[in-house]
Amino acid sequence: MEEKVITVTSGKGGVGKTTTTANIGSALALLGKKVVVLDGDIGLRNLDIVMGLENRIVYDIVDYVEGRCRLRQALIRDKRAPELYLLPTAQTRDKSAINPGQMVQVCDELRKEFDYIIIDSPAGIEQGFQNALAPADRVLVVTNPEVSSVRDADRVIGLVEAQQKGPVQLIINRLIAARVKKQEMLSTQDIMDVLSTEIIGIVPEDEAILSSSNRGTPVVFNGKSPAAIAYRDIARRLIGEDVPLVQPQPTSWWQKLFGRTE
Amino acid sequence: MSASASSELQHLKAMNFFERLFGRRSSAQTAKQRLQLVLVHDRAEIPPGVLALIKDDIIAVISRRVNIDREHVVVNVTHEDKMSKLLVDIPLLRNADGQAAGRARGEAQRPNRRTTSPSS
Ligand SMILES: Nc1ncnc2c1ncn2[C@@H]1O[C@H](COP(=O)(O)OP(=O)(O)OP(=O)(O)O)[C@@H](O)[C@H]1O
Ligand SMILES: [Mg+2]
Repeated sequence: MEEKVITVTSGKGGVGKTTTTANIGSALALLGKKVVVLDGDIGLRNLDIVMGLENRIVYDIVDYVEGRCRLRQALIRDKRAPELYLLPTAQTRDKSAINPGQMVQVCDELRKEFDYIIIDSPAGIEQGFQNALAPADRVLVVTNPEVSSVRDADRVIGLVEAQQKGPVQLIINRLIAARVKKQEMLSTQDIMDVLSTEIIGIVPEDEAILSSSNRGTPVVFNGKSPAAIAYRDIARRLIGEDVPLVQPQPTSWWQKLFGRTE
Repeated sequence: MSASASSELQHLKAMNFFERLFGRRSSAQTAKQRLQLVLVHDRAEIPPGVLALIKDDIIAVISRRVNIDREHVVVNVTHEDKMSKLLVDIPLLRNADGQAAGRARGEAQRPNRRTTSPSS
């Protein structure tokens, strides 16, 4: 089966699921794929903000599920890529507004038109997570190189495997190479040893992420910031290109002095 | 080997020269060790506190029949190759009549939840 529906989840909150969804979705669209990014965080929508599309929302997925609009009307077109869309969620409803069966149904509709449907899962392992997981063909678990986040990732990987929603791949986000080198932070190898799950990308801690979310422009749209490069690489791995995994290296004193190659 | 002992070993190997010199481990190593321990319990679905209760139960049951060294009973969970194991090590005390002392050892195994279908 084609792996069209990709769910981005984590267990622990605030590790970078929404940032990852926005950037991977945008990067896939920039590679010429027809993509929809779907906000699975009912009641706490953020994907619209991170994508910079918040002012264009009229209808959302709950409106569609409850029959107030057609699916097309809820989809927001992002003009920065040839074929990129956002399906926003409702801000004033709670997780129970949609059930896993309805999520599968919505995604089956979207599968007809899109190459990729990227779902931003809410934190936690309750209904919102189950909703995001139900239609998944492929699951990306985001973790930070930090004890509690890796522990929660292990729990989530267990739940995903128990429901036979594979393959599961790991994204290590916010890695700081200099601190890994000083043995102040878990390394990629440490996390691999502990989780024994394939790693599909390592995204460094990057100042550009904050300014990009300030502006509502995912980093992959402009520039060569380290996170942008990492997210583009992940997108290329997702479409099956063989892009070797590179370990982020600390920036040397002369790179700091003369500015990075941006 | 118990999980704590094996991670301890990995740990020492990973310590660099200066850490060995000053007897201090890096915080990343501490993080990894803590993670490995907590994940063993998470995956086996036996919290550390329950393990202490199991240990008390075992001591009570076994000591009804044989003389055991209660202080040195070890009950541990390990996790290898997607199997969780409960390892019990019970030193026997030499009886008053001079009978040979030995050890009762037990192993209980079950596949880890990660390899089973939706049971948990
Ligand atoms: N690689 C990175 N470098 C620097 N900052 C980052 C990076 N990734 C994420 N962040 C920041 O971390 C914060 C949390 O990110 P994000 O909202 O994507 O997490 P989340 O997992 O979706 O959170 P929630 O669980 O609340 O939905 C944001 O402020 C974001 O800008
Ligand atoms: Mg989020």
